[in-house]
Amino acid sequence: MGIKEFLNLSDEDVKKPMPKPTKWSKPFWEGTKQHKFLLKKCKGCGNIDFPPYLYCTNCMSEDHEWIEASGKGTLFAYAINVFAVPFFFWDDLPYVVAMIDMDEGMRIISNIVQCEHDKIKNGMRVEVVYEEVSPEITLPKWRPAKE
Amino acid sequence: MKKGEFAIIGTGEAPCGNYPERSEFETAYRVAKMAIEDAGINKNEIGAILCAQHIMGNEYNTEMVFGRLPEAIGAKGCKITCMTSSGGASSFSIRKTAEGILHSGETDTVLVVHAQRFSQFTINEQAKYFSIAGSDLEFEVPYGMTYNSLAAMITQGYMTYTGTTIEQIASVCVACRKWAMLQPNAMFNKKELTVEKVLSARMVAWPLTTLMCNVLADGGSAYIMTTAEKARRVCSKPVYILSDASDYSHRLVIRAKDKAMGGIDFLRNIAKKAYERAGLGPGDMDIFELYGSYPIIQLMLLDAVGICEPGKSGAMVASGETSPGGKRPVTTNGEALSYGHTGTGVGFGLFVESVRQLQGKAGRAQVPGARFIMENTGGGAFMDCHFTILGNEIP
Repeated sequence: MGIKEFLNLSDEDVKKPMPKPTKWSKPFWEGTKQHKFLLKKCKGCGNIDFPPYLYCTNCMSEDHEWIEASGKGTLFAYAINVFAVPFFFWDDLPYVVAMIDMDEGMRIISNIVQCEHDKIKNGMRVEVVYEEVSPEITLPKWRPAKE
Repeated sequence: MKKGEFAIIGTGEAPCGNYPERSEFETAYRVAKMAIEDAGINKNEIGAILCAQHIMGNEYNTEMVFGRLPEAIGAKGCKITCMTSSGGASSFSIRKTAEGILHSGETDTVLVVHAQRFSQFTINEQAKYFSIAGSDLEFEVPYGMTYNSLAAMITQGYMTYTGTTIEQIASVCVACRKWAMLQPNAMFNKKELTVEKVLSARMVAWPLTTLMCNVLADGGSAYIMTTAEKARRVCSKPVYILSDASDYSHRLVIRAKDKAMGGIDFLRNIAKKAYERAGLGPGDMDIFELYGSYPIIQLMLLDAVGICEPGKSGAMVASGETSPGGKRPVTTNGEALSYGHTGTGVGFGLFVESVRQLQGKAGRAQVPGARFIMENTGGGAFMDCHFTILGNEIP
């Protein structure tokens, strides 16, 4: 029995929060649907911003291009959520939240999946996998790299 | 701000804990009255009343923004009122606002108030708020990020990169509890903790158990701030603001200025500036009042303030140095971990406790002969850091 039935919650209580793409992040979410991890790169100074913002956080230029990341990275640190999360994540417990350093230099937050929890180690190589969570949204998640 | 230009002359504090029947208005009135009485001034001397934002409490916020408090306490000389917030760093930004008002010369007496009541919200409402606060709605929240898991990740990383043990992390909670047991207003001041108890409590976000996570609580505090000149005239033991230093790092931890685990360089530079501006050093500090809210943050701050080798603060805390009777008292009110987490009020609690210590009014928690204190606060998802040095004399 899930948390919804157990506590007699409404659909709204257990509805997972979904990313709401902004004007300037939309290409990122279009990319994940095609299983591409796109990064917003400034044409003025070459800076890459993640998350993407309206203009470059380094030089304030709005002139940019979207480049495809390698989809590889290194695990920096992680936690395993086992209790006391909002109801909409309750049925996923336990799950791993991690900080990953992508090979392109940015640090991101995501989940580590397809890996037994006791096999997870800081410094391990990871690669992106894509999970379609709704018709509009595909979330990039990470698993141990098969290289 | 010149060294010792402004001073605190009185404080007030409400018991911290679960008080659903005590409205935040009532708490604000009461702590304001206590501070006025403690300072020994007339309420009509107060020319500005500043309130800190109540996290989640929109009704209180609106009423305070609309000037309820000056009318309610009958502050006939009040000219300026405002509400300030920078989350956990509110106690700092509100004090800087008070300094600005005093500096303008419009008044020489400011009342600063904080009140919070979390118990009016359900656990799920609180969990929802704090899972989302400080995390990116688009790029972090959909992964089930919570505030606890953020602290857990930092703890896990810090342990790996410094060799700190989970027992040492737990010893921070034990030390905080020891202090809280000396504090009549602390939420958890009855039962002693042990490392074993902390580690065997229910796991929340591995490696953190429930006892390594702070508990949201109802509370409030207030103080009266004035110019050093007036303070000397009306108060037998004013507490002077000797220096402070600040820096902002990020909104999201993934974009921290200092990407190394522990952010030691970022924190250390701020502490260093605060020491230089006061003309004092780590060895001069009698107490460190540090805003941790999770044990790991207290350790990162201890690594930065110059009293131990970076990465070795866990061993220092485990040895009992920071506990009551130890040679380095740290967070003498028990901090968010045992005093209770009062939203924007954690920093107020530490600030008010600093003043009490320096005025010799800290009761059973009094550190004998305390002269100088380093106080700290920060907000957001560890977005910024502020160190303040306070003293009951101007060196």
